[in-house]
Amino acid sequence: MVIPEQGTVNAREAGLKSCMTCGALQELREPRPCRQCGAIVLSRRANSLQRVWAFLIVGMMAYIPANIAPIMLTQSFSGNTSDTILSGVVSLIDSGSVGVGLIIFFASIGIPIAKFMIIIGLALSLQFRWDMSEHTAHRLHKITEFIGRWSMIDVFVVAVLAALIQLDSILTILPGAGINAFALSVVFTMLSAISFDPRLFWDTDKHVS
Amino acid sequence: MTIAVDQTDQLSGQRSSNDLIACPGCDLLHFRQNLQIGEFARCERCSDVLQTRKPHTIDRSLALVLACIALLIISLCLPFMSLSRSGIESTISVLDAVGALWMSNMRWLGLMTLGFIVLLPLARLSLLGWVLWRIRFNRELRRSMPLAFRWAIKLEPWAMADIFMVGVVVSLVKVSTLANLQVGLAFWSLLILVALSILINQLLCRDSVWSYLNKAQ
Repeated sequence: MVIPEQGTVNAREAGLKSCMTCGALQELREPRPCRQCGAIVLSRRANSLQRVWAFLIVGMMAYIPANIAPIMLTQSFSGNTSDTILSGVVSLIDSGSVGVGLIIFFASIGIPIAKFMIIIGLALSLQFRWDMSEHTAHRLHKITEFIGRWSMIDVFVVAVLAALIQLDSILTILPGAGINAFALSVVFTMLSAISFDPRLFWDTDKHVS
Repeated sequence: MTIAVDQTDQLSGQRSSNDLIACPGCDLLHFRQNLQIGEFARCERCSDVLQTRKPHTIDRSLALVLACIALLIISLCLPFMSLSRSGIESTISVLDAVGALWMSNMRWLGLMTLGFIVLLPLARLSLLGWVLWRIRFNRELRRSMPLAFRWAIKLEPWAMADIFMVGVVVSLVKVSTLANLQVGLAFWSLLILVALSILINQLLCRDSVWSYLNKAQ
């Protein structure tokens, strides 16, 4: 744990709290909403870590059926096939579209798993007051917030294909149950990442509220 | 251009919260700086942005927001893609796509697509447009404007037109072997919309908007 240098004072130590939306400061004990934007002002977001865990667990649970169940069903006169996330990537790479295959691989498998690991690591480090560099935690949190949305690519691919390719008996694409689970997984991991209060990483007492 | 933000050791006696600012990323207190136009201040500990002062922010953001609303409406009306295979051709717009999903019992996927690429971006643009418009033309400020601007900020990560466009390109590649797919005008207008949305985030100065909204109270 890094002890803050002399002359560095947190808002909370100075008896102040700042609004997460607009940055206006007010007295720590003042219960009123923010004078500038009307949002509820909390020195540290309430139950931040609990929310992170709750959303993360739902997100991880949804990720299991997302990978097992098919995300896309293709019906054509030559037969019906179904694709899971992984088999979709493999067939893209097989057909020569290596670049696009890699994009889907990162968006649907790489990013979600990396996000799970990073959020678990950050949450554990807060929970058990691990000795993690604040700068590292801060940067990892920024990264998870930024990359989370990009996992939705596969959902939109299936939506576009299913809406567009409805040529009756010749070729029809239907979404599978897996894509719903996958979309839920992405939404809940996004909520999990947003639930972190970044200021908790910098608290020397790692006060968890 | 960045200017360093000094922190003095006399904070304890200083309680005028207007002179102070806390870092949103790490809660460190700093003295509020008088920035020149175009400057911004970073936290000396975690280097998050503390204050910004962007040039002509109301004019530029409002122009971009109005352009985006127009482009979004255009994208909804014009054909988005057309597909042909074995003599059968189909042309769809974005709304057709959602409608097709709805009709063929994929309501959940249809609703999600509609929400993430049409409703949420439109809600965000309308809220921003309304707030900026009233500021720009010196209309009387309403009590609900801070609420509207707050929601516009909150909706930002959930408007996913940019991700949708990547999804569309991937779909193009994926079915290029199965059928002949072509993009329509709506594709291009949505592409410009994505570029302008990124530009809005760059040019919109939240600090300036809050200080405008603050003056009224």
